[in-house]
Amino acid sequence: MDQAHIRNFSIIAHIDHGKSTLADRFLELTGALQAREMEAQVLDAMDLERERGITIKAHPVRLNYTAGNGGQYVLNLIDTPGHVDFSYEVTRSLAACEGALLLVDAAQGVEAQTLANAYLASENELEIIPVINKIDLPSAQPEECLRQIEEIIGLDSSGALLASAKEGTGTREILEAIVARIPPPAGDPNAPLKALIFDSWFDPYRGVVIVVRVIDGVLRTKAKIRLMATKQDFEVDDLGVFSPKATPVDELSVGEVGFIIANIKVVADAKIGDTVTETARQTPAPFPGFKELKPMVFAGLYPVESHQYAELREALEKLRLNDASFFYEPETSAALGFGFRCGFLGLLHMEIVQERLEREYGMDLVTTAPGVLYRVTTTDGEVQEVDSPAKLPDAGRIAKLEEPVITAMILTPAEYVGPILQLCQDKRGIQKKLEYLKSDRVLVTYDLPFNEVVMDFYDRLKTISRGYASLDYHVTGYWESPLVKMDIMVNGDPIDALSIIVHRDAAYDRGRALAAKMRELIPRQMFEIAIQAAIGNRIIARESVKALRKNVLAKCYGGDITRKRKLLEKQKEGKKRMKRVGRVEIPQEAFLAVLKVGTES
Amino acid sequence: MSLGLYVHIPFCSAICNYCNFNRGLFDAAQKERYVPALRAEIARAGDGSAADTIYFGGGTPSLLEPAEVAAVIEACARGWALAPDAEITLEVNPETITRERLAGFRAAGVNRLSLGVQSFHDTELRRLGRLHSAARAEEAFQDARAEGFQNISLDLMMWLPQQTVADWLDSVEALTALGPDHASLYLLEIYPNAPLRDEMARARWSVAADEDAAEMYLSGLDRMDRAGYMQYEICNVARPGRASRHNLKYWTDGEWLGFGCGAHSTRGGVRWKNRSATDEYISAVASGGQTAIEYRRLEGEDRLEEALFMGLRLNAGLDVPALKSRYGVDVWDRHGGELQPFVEAGLLIYDGRSLRMTRPGMLLANEVMAVFIRSTVR
Repeated sequence: MDQAHIRNFSIIAHIDHGKSTLADRFLELTGALQAREMEAQVLDAMDLERERGITIKAHPVRLNYTAGNGGQYVLNLIDTPGHVDFSYEVTRSLAACEGALLLVDAAQGVEAQTLANAYLASENELEIIPVINKIDLPSAQPEECLRQIEEIIGLDSSGALLASAKEGTGTREILEAIVARIPPPAGDPNAPLKALIFDSWFDPYRGVVIVVRVIDGVLRTKAKIRLMATKQDFEVDDLGVFSPKATPVDELSVGEVGFIIANIKVVADAKIGDTVTETARQTPAPFPGFKELKPMVFAGLYPVESHQYAELREALEKLRLNDASFFYEPETSAALGFGFRCGFLGLLHMEIVQERLEREYGMDLVTTAPGVLYRVTTTDGEVQEVDSPAKLPDAGRIAKLEEPVITAMILTPAEYVGPILQLCQDKRGIQKKLEYLKSDRVLVTYDLPFNEVVMDFYDRLKTISRGYASLDYHVTGYWESPLVKMDIMVNGDPIDALSIIVHRDAAYDRGRALAAKMRELIPRQMFEIAIQAAIGNRIIARESVKALRKNVLAKCYGGDITRKRKLLEKQKEGKKRMKRVGRVEIPQEAFLAVLKVGTES
Repeated sequence: MSLGLYVHIPFCSAICNYCNFNRGLFDAAQKERYVPALRAEIARAGDGSAADTIYFGGGTPSLLEPAEVAAVIEACARGWALAPDAEITLEVNPETITRERLAGFRAAGVNRLSLGVQSFHDTELRRLGRLHSAARAEEAFQDARAEGFQNISLDLMMWLPQQTVADWLDSVEALTALGPDHASLYLLEIYPNAPLRDEMARARWSVAADEDAAEMYLSGLDRMDRAGYMQYEICNVARPGRASRHNLKYWTDGEWLGFGCGAHSTRGGVRWKNRSATDEYISAVASGGQTAIEYRRLEGEDRLEEALFMGLRLNAGLDVPALKSRYGVDVWDRHGGELQPFVEAGLLIYDGRSLRMTRPGMLLANEVMAVFIRSTVR
């Protein structure tokens, strides 16, 4: 393939700004799929993605395009995940491109995520082509969007294109701009092989499929390759491209994008960001920017039925085959029994894993409130990472307790700045920057404890800004904090699964709110139930659930005893779905109450 | 033990906003077809065995003409060996009867009336969408006495929308002043889609707190005690010898046959239910087809479990040695561990022979009964 006729590009867009629809139009116009074969949004393959309308990760697609100048071009569309949990994958996808479309919804304007990814694209020296989408909407304000692109992102908007992916307007103009404005890949076809892995997954029939962009050299079938980070060697069985169906090829040369199948057993061996080279003739330096992905958010997953423990383990093993970024280890809770401590890239990632376990593997799960990875220095100088309140050493043994910090970029219409600043202050944030941009937008940059964001920050941000503020963040470090472990006791028994790590100053309010929430969630039982929040031996809040006084004493006339039996069976079933701690039955929702209380009081 | 016969009459003049029994609006033409269908079903089922109760339930059975009731009773008498002193109950709504009709029912053979009064406060009756007033209920009761009915039961409901403990006790007082032979005191259960729920939301009515509901139950029964009634079941009290013989069959592991749409039967270790839809029932009878649709054979432990949770409803409770000789299972050996907390909480009494609930225990009967249900993984 002639290098000069290749264009590698991504689409940068906020959720719902129309990325998948635009991709579909590209497929249609280049004949990659006939219109009748099209199911809306072919690129979003997983069910879950389609339901939520967000793309977690889609295959790259190779488009054969005959340009207006008569030239035959190969355009590789490389997808970028649309959520902050996967921002490392975004950087690797962008690194595989020479250009990007910056897609902005004509009615919504520029959002934080667009901004964050546009910055990333600039850092990677990508050619950025702004595209204003959804111009068919009555509420479209393309002029305003152009101004925002100039003022907020700082891009020249004179070359921006207008489009309606839904109606197909502007598609050809965009493809022409890709050909004309995005540079062809550089790279030396004769240099030793250097290819960047920007995606990988497990296929039950073929083993691991890795997706690469060839930076230098040529990749051929039967070649002996080395994955540089893991220092493992494999032989290439098959090479191919997605057009969009997987199509075998004999070689992938410099600048090309395609997949490798090389008898790799687990995705953990083919890490995103790693470099593929030839075993015999290795490239002197791997492609820069490789990072080991580390879980950031942790929660306990427990089977509702304890006998499903083995099944859950098996399901987790299978999921892990396909997702090297999540982690699990067995954990035992006095309240919930045997389960697993699991680590995730972020909250969406956690939700995805949870949903897949429930949907694909039929598990009923109790999930404990998510938390972050704390760093503890003990009095004897040892540094530990703590992913669960239960593992926090006794207060007396802690010399220093640090929590992860994120840098958050919030883009908001000016009218909501006041409440947003208040929210960030409440969440213990430190203001870094406050920029009033011309088009009535404000860019708020804060350092915030990650834990607060995991709790309920995003929901509250959306509420106070009526959905208009958008957020992007990444973890930037750790800071020391006066954190304490707070326990919840039910009838005097501490419920380990309900313990949380909380800032000392917020503990009192959080404890009160949590105890009150528990009172709502625990149904009345035969005796009064005392609920207490405690830090060490100090009780900071107490509530009680009064004893149950009456059932429904239904009329049981006409001899319908079957109905009565069903009622009693249902009652028994309801009890089974509760976890019994001591004498008290605790419903599953109670274990997530921590999330629902935040600091709303 | 003799059989009980239950006859279901699914017609009502108005549909009460809280009721989810099998019933529909009165339709004279449909009734004309229904009564013959009932008689045909009864005639077909009759096997000459002994029966000692007939119970007309509904719906509003008192919407039938006395002649129709007589015809159904006759059909029963032809099909079974009906005891001479059989208890024959008719559920009656106060607004449906006159002296003349009462005389007719009595002549037809009805010897027990169950009068659906529900409340002696007109505002409460209106909230429930009932068609009668408190005065009409009293008059109906006096008329029934005047026509010679010596066994009359009144139904009252507590925990009605906006009802206070004092309001409830007013109704109980009014009931004891009339002096029926039997009374049923229920807690209103508002099922999930009841129209009453919407009405309550619109009118901003609420029901009293659980503590008050419990207080209504306990103080209401206390008044009945003092007025000389004996509680014999969670919701039922009677003057000596006036307990409902028919309903006792349900609670004492007895056998009964139900006729009419949606009626339930239990005999020979099988429970079954007739088709619910009135017209479907009528055509099934007419075509000689199956009236029963849901059969459930009481397999293994089912029968014991049901004997336990039904029997526990009675003040006399469960006779543990008798159950052991009948089912080979010592209830206390099996469930004592789970029941002990109820005993300690003063909700249950076990004296080595009978296992019975106290009144506070009756308020929590479902908690106790659920103990007897095996976990449902079967």
